[in-house]
Amino acid sequence: MSAVHSHPSSMVATAQPASTEIPAPLIPLLSSLTALIYTIENLFNRIPGSPIIVRYIKSSYQDDPWRSVLELFLLAFAIRTVLKGRTRGEGEGKSFIKLTEKEIDELVDEFSPLPLADEPTPADSLTLETVPTIYGPNGIKVKTSPNGKTLLNLATPNWCGFVENDKMKEVAIETLKHYGVGTCGPSGFYGTIDIHQKAEADIASFLGTEASIIYSQAFALVSSAIPAFAKRGDIIVADRGVNFGIHKGLQISRSNIKWYAHGDMKDLERVLQNVERDRKRKGGKLTKKFIVAEGIFENDGMILDLPKVIELKKKYKYRLILDECQSFGMMGAHGRGITEHFGVPASEVDMILGSMANGLSTGGGFCAGSQVVCQHQRINSSASVFSASLPAMLATCASQAIDILKSQPQLITSLQANIQVFRTQLAKLEPFISTTSASSSGSAENSLMPPPNGVPNKEALISIPSHANSGLIHIFLLNPPDNLEDEEIILQQIVDEVQNTSNVLITRSRRLRSQEIFEPEPSLKISISGYMSKKDVEAAGKGLRNAIIKVCGSEY
Amino acid sequence: MPRSTRKSTSGASTPPSSLSSSPPSRPLFPAISLRSSSPSSSQSMGMGKETPNSNVLSARTSLLNVLTRPHHSSPSTTIVSSENNSSDEDTIYSDQSTISGSSYASSIINGSIADKQHLSSEDIARVYENYLEKPFVYTKSTIKHSEFGHCNNPNWRWTSQWNPDEPIHPEEEPHPPYFTLLTTYISYILLIVIGHMRDFFGKRFRPAEYAHLMPQNGYAALNSDFDSFYTRRLKQRLEDCFARPVTGVAGRTIVCYDRSSTDENKTFTLTGTTTRALNVSSYNYLGFASSTGGCADAVEACIKKYGVSGAGPRHDASTLDLHVQTENLVARFVGQESAMVVSMGYATNSTTIPALVGKGCLVISDEFNHASIRFGVRLSGASLRSFKHNDVNDLERILRDVISQGQPRTHRPWKKILLIVEGLYSMEGSLVNLPVLIELKKKYKFYLYVDEAHSIGAMGPNGRGVCDYFGVDPREVDLLMGTFTKSFGAAGGYIAGSKAIMDRLRLRSHATCYAESISPVLLTQIISSMGSIMGVAPPLATPAEDDKSDTLSIVSRPQAYGPAPSHILPSWMKLPLNLLNGTEGRERLRRLAFNSRYLASGLRKLGFIVYGHRDSPIIPLLIYNPGKMPWFSQLMLDRLGPDKTPVVVVVVAYPATPLITSRVRFCLSASHTKNDIDLILRACDEVGDLLGMKYGKQTMNVEEVISSAEELVASSKFD
Repeated sequence: MSAVHSHPSSMVATAQPASTEIPAPLIPLLSSLTALIYTIENLFNRIPGSPIIVRYIKSSYQDDPWRSVLELFLLAFAIRTVLKGRTRGEGEGKSFIKLTEKEIDELVDEFSPLPLADEPTPADSLTLETVPTIYGPNGIKVKTSPNGKTLLNLATPNWCGFVENDKMKEVAIETLKHYGVGTCGPSGFYGTIDIHQKAEADIASFLGTEASIIYSQAFALVSSAIPAFAKRGDIIVADRGVNFGIHKGLQISRSNIKWYAHGDMKDLERVLQNVERDRKRKGGKLTKKFIVAEGIFENDGMILDLPKVIELKKKYKYRLILDECQSFGMMGAHGRGITEHFGVPASEVDMILGSMANGLSTGGGFCAGSQVVCQHQRINSSASVFSASLPAMLATCASQAIDILKSQPQLITSLQANIQVFRTQLAKLEPFISTTSASSSGSAENSLMPPPNGVPNKEALISIPSHANSGLIHIFLLNPPDNLEDEEIILQQIVDEVQNTSNVLITRSRRLRSQEIFEPEPSLKISISGYMSKKDVEAAGKGLRNAIIKVCGSEY
Repeated sequence: MPRSTRKSTSGASTPPSSLSSSPPSRPLFPAISLRSSSPSSSQSMGMGKETPNSNVLSARTSLLNVLTRPHHSSPSTTIVSSENNSSDEDTIYSDQSTISGSSYASSIINGSIADKQHLSSEDIARVYENYLEKPFVYTKSTIKHSEFGHCNNPNWRWTSQWNPDEPIHPEEEPHPPYFTLLTTYISYILLIVIGHMRDFFGKRFRPAEYAHLMPQNGYAALNSDFDSFYTRRLKQRLEDCFARPVTGVAGRTIVCYDRSSTDENKTFTLTGTTTRALNVSSYNYLGFASSTGGCADAVEACIKKYGVSGAGPRHDASTLDLHVQTENLVARFVGQESAMVVSMGYATNSTTIPALVGKGCLVISDEFNHASIRFGVRLSGASLRSFKHNDVNDLERILRDVISQGQPRTHRPWKKILLIVEGLYSMEGSLVNLPVLIELKKKYKFYLYVDEAHSIGAMGPNGRGVCDYFGVDPREVDLLMGTFTKSFGAAGGYIAGSKAIMDRLRLRSHATCYAESISPVLLTQIISSMGSIMGVAPPLATPAEDDKSDTLSIVSRPQAYGPAPSHILPSWMKLPLNLLNGTEGRERLRRLAFNSRYLASGLRKLGFIVYGHRDSPIIPLLIYNPGKMPWFSQLMLDRLGPDKTPVVVVVVAYPATPLITSRVRFCLSASHTKNDIDLILRACDEVGDLLGMKYGKQTMNVEEVISSAEELVASSKFD
């Protein structure tokens, strides 16, 4: 470095030759060089802090010249890294092939992508053609063509008949006159209306949790609330039978996912023990651990053994994420969900995800839990931050529906009675005829599986794994054909048959074949409403039974 | 003089006359004094009084051209426009007569603004006294003034349409002074250092407050302190700017609950009072968020008939006739063959993208795409490449690269390449360069997915989004997605494309199978607002061949964007005449276009750094220094200026924007009047001076900007 050799005090404008031994022709060259060095040095000295650098370099060179070389090398490397650009993109990877522009042009010409929409299969066409369209309002009596006959609707979730509730309509009109329809903004930007806060408080106090947060769609809630907490490296233990929304949430979370057999508490414990053993062996940092399950499983109507899960979760220090999108508004004496059904305080569950669209017949979903859990989602849950808030009238109607549920437990009683009536009609086709069908409905032990201690039924055609108190009933064929498409066709025949002969609208579960992680078996999906008359439900059950016998009896 | 020439274009022919002396051609037309504000402005700008400045003239001519262009592009629309104009005038008169009765209207119309070139602060204070509260005018449209402002001056209109002379993107992004950049970085470093120090000492001395960040009884912390650092230590300082609780309609004005915090913004307590403020924060582009008026009446009828619930998933017997009607209307509105509606805008992206692409497919995405798009792409399992925001050269480079290289390692060609862009970017206010993308699409054979969440209803002479704005055939784009939250005042989203693709989506989209269907109430709001933008054709006037023809071209565009055939609408829905004939919708589109262009140009003249396109109703104004964000928000609410009218604004910072470019984002609406925009300009001017936010070169003072509003809007120059 030049600064090492010259002393600042000897700085002059013109150069003086240091020695007379230098040949004369070189002198002007040297003098101009020295002048240049002085100028640079002068400039360098003007930079604040430059003496420190000079001193550092000087001393480091004196102490250890190799260190200076190393430092110089590092500096060069740093400059190279900075200049290289931030993205390690194309042209860097091992498999990159350098092509000429002409070759690229040819490849571009040759490129022929698949069509955006592939050809629909016959099963696809069948599915699309058989989606019913309801003319006029939805409810328990609907029409599927403008001038068609009236059908009893066992396809739409409407547990307590809120779809047609007049009180809620009044509230909606009242809300319209104060708040309009849309909120025109996400909750962070002036989209938090006072009635949202009221609905959140209502839900929290109804369930008995500290707080709750509202989302504008239940499906998005489930797939977004889970990844708001579970991150890469965390552990999620999930039931194999969870619904599609949860699958998507798990996928986004990128956590370490362990499955346990559907509804099998022994397997759950085994998985939890394995995780624990792994952790002890590997050591490492304490990570977040979650159990994810559903109250009433959307895919088959089975119930979660909540007391057992709570016990295990406490034992192994897990947090429980409980999806109550089906069970909220259906289970428990007031419709608080399976926490009320089992008498477990809701605050024992870390996060309760519920649907206001299913349970309260308005729209949107909620997550109830502690203050910290809810507050975290307001900033970190993608579907809450980046989406418009729930339309005002859906929130006020939800508050209203909760008031009704609180004050009218007979709605749930009536729902349970109707479920009972319906299940009795179908019991004759199930593999086991329970000897104590009427009294067993409330107990948790034999409700998870079909009652094993009944009389075997030789004429069985169907199996219904759904819990005896579940308004959502899935009916599976006992001896299905080998491939799924044929099974779907048979189920569709049952749907058509029961619609034509008994004027009952039911549906078969629609699935996203090839997108599901575990392909669910095809099934018929029934939603019972407490608003229907017992006579109608009984007739519907009878009609369905006859339809099943007619279609399946001819098959086998 | 320009005024009269422009007048003649809007239908009524008046002979040219000089301004000051000219008696109003219609003597009972009180708005005439308002109009004279524009010529007086040109005097105040130092332009010749007698000789019309050639610049102004050319600007006017271009204004004329733009205004008339859509009208004369096809004979069929000319008829419509002339009808519109006549009924236009009618509504103006009736509105005027009602409005002049109120003290608000007389205070403005009878002159203080028009007579003087520059307003004294007393004048401003007088004019804006109780500005937001007082005028609860009920007019023929029966919409409250506080939700939708009345603005009758036909000069304060503009048509949102691409002018090829104007660049789609500025040549170069405006740069702040280095001093600002430096202080911004230093601010963040300081905040981070202080935050970490507080964490360090806080955890040791006040562990109770950090309990949720530390492992407890064998449970790992729910939020890692690293992940939540930004939220706790940086965002919390601005917490008062976000999630302020409101009540009522988010229309032209909004009522906020006042709140205060005593524990550094951890919790807020409501003080029990409310403030009505001018609302430039909500995505209410066309002002359809209202509790009264034709749309609200239709919604009320719907509640009585259908209730509020969408109930179960679409495939499980929750598809109503209304869903089908809405889908048909949406398809026609955007000019596609078929459409599908979803109950949430966010979910429209996140549930349909996985149904379109999967493993072996490539998604090319703009770097500023919305979170829902990124969420959807992650769910789909497709590979992702992103290109620099709106940089078509970078896009082409990537395209050549990915097509020539194929899939990584295997070099098999990609199954599909899907390019996802937004029409109008919600944080940038920038428009997509659609004409170039269409060119590229032809060459590189990728599929194009345009997210029009913000542009639908807000851009284009017919409000049909960016395709309409650029005059591109909508069927050149494979998929048009948009939301109903913004322009239509409802909620939910749609996706539109060819019938084959939509049928596939109906089967494969997560939403149709598992998510709740959209509520009939929202559908009614969508049908009524969309129908009133389109206008509804009487049954007999619908061309018979229109239904059959699916082939469209740019030549046939006006036909494609024609009115809604009345048979698509539900028979029970009764809309008032001004909505049915489309005049109201057209007015709103043109008011929004004027407001947007006026504010964007005005703020630039005042020396602010403003991003985005001038026709964009989203106007981001750059703040940079994080410390100025809460101040800006607060000073707009507790105004210092003479008018004392509170304004609520949205401030946005990292992570929604790049770290240093913190900004305030104005979302304009057709419900704002020109006076509202004037007010915003004055407010920004006063706060900008106070906080030193005019990073660019100020070329006009605020009163000059206000008085030359029309020239600014008509000028085709970017700055």
